[in-house]
Amino acid sequence: MITSKLREAILCLRPGRVTLKYPFEPHDPEGDFRGYPELDADKCIGCGGCATVCPARAIMIQDIDQNTRRIVRFLERCIYCGRCADVCPEDAITMTKRFELSTDQGREDMVAECEVFMATCQRCGQCYKPPSALDKIMEPGFRDDKLKRGGDDSPYEPI
Amino acid sequence: MFKKLCEKAFPKSLWVYHCNVGDCNGCDIEVIDVLTPYYDAERFGIKLVASPRHADVLLVCGPVTRQVVPALKRLYDAVPDPKIVIAIGSCAVGGGIWFDSYNIVGGVDTILPVDYYIPGCPPRPEAILYGVAMALGLTEKQIESVHLKQLLDRPESVPMESEAR
Amino acid sequence: MNAQQLGDSVKQQFGDKVVELSALGPNQLCLTITPDSLVSVAEYLNKDLGCRFVINSGTDRRRQRGKFLITHFFAHDEEKIYITLHTEVGEDQPEVDSITPSVPAANWSERETRDMVGVVPVGHPDPRRLVVADDWPEDVFPLRWDVPHDLKPPPAEGVAMPLLDPPEGASVVPIGPYFPVLEEPEYFRVFVEGEEVVGADYRGFYNHRGIEKLGSSALTYNQVPFIAERICGICGFVHSCSYCQAVERAAGIEVPPRGEYIRTIMLELERIHSHLLWLGIAGHIIGFDTILMQVWRMREPLMWLCERISGNRKTYGMNLVGGVRRDIEPEIHDDVRRVLTDIERQWQELYNAIPGDTTLMARLQGTGILPTEVARARGAVGPTARGSGLPIDVRVDHPYAAYDRLDVKKRVYDGCDNLARTLVRLDETLDSINIIRQALREMPEGEIMAQIDEEIPAGQQAVGSVEAPRGEVFHWVLTGPENRPERWRVRAPTYANLQSVPPMLQGDALADVPIDIGSIDPCFACTDRMEVVDVSSGQVRVYTQDELLNKKY
Repeated sequence: MITSKLREAILCLRPGRVTLKYPFEPHDPEGDFRGYPELDADKCIGCGGCATVCPARAIMIQDIDQNTRRIVRFLERCIYCGRCADVCPEDAITMTKRFELSTDQGREDMVAECEVFMATCQRCGQCYKPPSALDKIMEPGFRDDKLKRGGDDSPYEPI
Repeated sequence: MFKKLCEKAFPKSLWVYHCNVGDCNGCDIEVIDVLTPYYDAERFGIKLVASPRHADVLLVCGPVTRQVVPALKRLYDAVPDPKIVIAIGSCAVGGGIWFDSYNIVGGVDTILPVDYYIPGCPPRPEAILYGVAMALGLTEKQIESVHLKQLLDRPESVPMESEAR
Repeated sequence: MNAQQLGDSVKQQFGDKVVELSALGPNQLCLTITPDSLVSVAEYLNKDLGCRFVINSGTDRRRQRGKFLITHFFAHDEEKIYITLHTEVGEDQPEVDSITPSVPAANWSERETRDMVGVVPVGHPDPRRLVVADDWPEDVFPLRWDVPHDLKPPPAEGVAMPLLDPPEGASVVPIGPYFPVLEEPEYFRVFVEGEEVVGADYRGFYNHRGIEKLGSSALTYNQVPFIAERICGICGFVHSCSYCQAVERAAGIEVPPRGEYIRTIMLELERIHSHLLWLGIAGHIIGFDTILMQVWRMREPLMWLCERISGNRKTYGMNLVGGVRRDIEPEIHDDVRRVLTDIERQWQELYNAIPGDTTLMARLQGTGILPTEVARARGAVGPTARGSGLPIDVRVDHPYAAYDRLDVKKRVYDGCDNLARTLVRLDETLDSINIIRQALREMPEGEIMAQIDEEIPAGQQAVGSVEAPRGEVFHWVLTGPENRPERWRVRAPTYANLQSVPPMLQGDALADVPIDIGSIDPCFACTDRMEVVDVSSGQVRVYTQDELLNKKY
C-alpha cells in the first residue's frame, strides 16, 4: 500500500512543472499543421476543383458574368482537412499554421471571397485534372446556379 | 456595450459550463485537455462547473441537432445574467460538415446569441485558451473576412485560347 | 469451414427459401432469402451456428428493383466469416417479420430501420420511435431516396417518443439531457423506491446527425472518409479506415503495402491515446483525479506527435479510398520511438503501482461482474468481451491492414470485473507500442496510395471492420451509380457493449454504477441508442405501457 502510494508520488513528481506559458509565449504546431487555408488570388485559375472535393461543402462557385467567377469560401464550417490544397493544380491554396482564429464579431469574419477573371476558361473543363477517378467534377451542389434538391423527379418542393 | 459590461463583470474568474449539442466528442476532449497540466486553464481562474446555474460562461460544442434545441434553450435560460456564450469548433460556429443535414439546425448562433467563436476541427487546446483569453481581454482578434480580386488587365491571368478544350 | 461451405449448410437446411447464395471471397457470405423464412434463418444462424448478430440495415431500392432491401448482418468469429442476409419486401406492403423476439440484440436496429426507411418490423415487442427527433413528422423517412438530405419538415405535434411511466409506488429521478456526469446529452429517467433503483428509461439519439444519409446522397466516395472520421472524435481514424476498406473490397482496389502499414501505425497510435484517455476518465469517475491529470500529461506528447505526423491532433484526415494521403517520413521515426519509450516507461511505473493501491482495487475488484456467457449472449465486443474471457479481436479474427504480418496478441482476462477490463487495456497499450515499433521496422518502401483510374461499379457490396479501442467497428457499403455509395451502414462498438451494462449493474452498490458504465468506455456520439433497462432483473427488455402498468417489480 505505502510503496504503491510512493510510486505514484514519484510518478507525479518526476516530470516537474510542465505547464506551457501559452498564451503569453507562442506554442506553434510542429510538422505540416493544417491551419487556416489561404488562397492566393493571383494563382487561382477558377477551375473549381477545391469546391468539388471539399467534404464540408464550404467552397461555392458563383459565375457572376461571362468574365468573372467568384469563389466564396465559408471557412466557418471548414474542417481543415486540406483536400483543397492537395488537388489545386496551381498550388493557389496553402494550409498555413494559423490556428488562433477566434473572433467576437460573428462568423462573417470567417468568409473569404475571391473574384477570378475567367475570359475563356468557362468552357474549359480540363484545367483541373483530378488525382483519381473518384474526384472528378460531377457534383452539382457546389455551384450556386445548380443547387437542386433531391432527385430530378423528387416530390419535394425546393424550400 | 455588452463587451464592456462583460469586462467589468468578469475581471478575475470565469466559471464555465461545458455542453455538447450533437458533437463528435473531439471538442469535448480538447476542452478537458485545456484543464490538464500542460495547458492548465485554472491559471486564469477558469473553472469547469457541474451546473449551469453556477456558470458565467457557456461553452457550446457541436452542431445543434433538432432533438437538442429545447434542452439547449432551457440550459441557456438557466445560466444567470450576465453571461457569455462561446461556440467551440467548426460545428458550433457554422454547422460543420453536416450543416445541411435533415437533423441539424445549424451553428449555435441560430439558436442563441453567441459572443465568441473558436473555429477549428477540433480546435487545438491552445486555440481554445486563446479564445477564452480573448473573452478575458488578454489577447487580440487576428482574423477578418477576406475579399480578393484578380486585376482585369493582368495579362498572365488570361488563359491561353489554345489550351481550351 | 469457409464461406461457401457455410452457405451450403444453410442451403441444405432451408432449401428453396434461399433465393440466392454467393460467397464474396472466403470470408464473406451473401445470402438472399424469402421474407417468410427470415426469422427461422436468423434463429438458425444465431442459435445453432453461434453467429453473433451485428446490425441490420434497410435500403430503399425502389428505383432499381421496386423493393426495399432489408439486410441482417451476422459474424462467425471462429470461422472468420461475415454473413450478409438480404430480404426484399415490396413497396406496397413495407413490412418484415421482426427477429427481435428470438434475437434480442436486433431490438434497436429494427426500430431504427423503421424510423429511417419506413419498413415496419411486425411483431416487435416495443414499436416506439427511436432515432428521429421528438417533433419529426411520422410519414417522412429520411433514408428514402426521394427525401432530400437537407429536408427540414415543419414540426409535428404529438408524435414524440412516449416515455415510460414509473412502476407503482416508485418515483422518478430525471437525469439529463444535461447533467454533471454526462459528457453528452442523454436523458435518463431513473425509477427509485427509496434508495433502491427499480428501473430506468433512457432517451438517447440527441446526437443523431444524419451521417448515413449524407454519405449516400450528398457526398462522393472520397468525401465520405472525412465525415466518417467525425462520427467519433476519439476513434475517428477507425471509422474512416473501416469505410475505406469496405469500398476497397467492394471495388477490388489493392492498397499498397506501405499504405497498409501507415494505417496500422495510426490505428495503434489512436488506440494508445484512447486507452490513456479512458484510464484518466476512469480515475476521474472513481474520484482519483491524480490519475486523470497524470495520465493526460503522459498522453499530451503523443497528441503532439500525431499532430506532427498527420497535421491535426485528432482528426488525422489521412484516409482516402485506395490508401493514405501522408507518408510517415523516416526523420519522424526516431521521434515516434522516443515518445513511445517515454510513455512505456511511465506506463510501466503506473502498472506497477496499481495492484498495490487499495483505493483503486476497492473500486475496481469485484465490481461490475459480467459473466462470460452473458457477455457472449449480449454480443459484447472489444475489451468488454476480452475482460470477460471471450477471445474476440478483429485484428486476429478478421485481419485487415497489415495486422496479418504483425504480432498481435489477444489479451484475455477471465476476471469478468472492472479490474479485468482495466488490465486488458493496460496490456493492450504496451502491446500497441510494440506493434508500432515492429511496423516501423518492417515498413516496406513504395507507394502509399493506389492509382484509381476507373469508376467504382455500382451494385457491389462489402463489409469493412476494424478493432477500435472500444471494440469492433463495422461498416457496410453498397456502391451506387453517382460516384457515391448507395447505402452506407455504420455500427459502432458501444452499441453492442451498452447491452452488457444491465447485467453488470446487478447486485452492485449505486455508487459503483458510474464506473460500471465507464468500464465499457462508452461513446454515445458513435452510438446513440435507446434502451429500457430493468436493473432489478438485469434484463434488457422493453415493456409496453400496459405491461408496465400491470407489472409489479
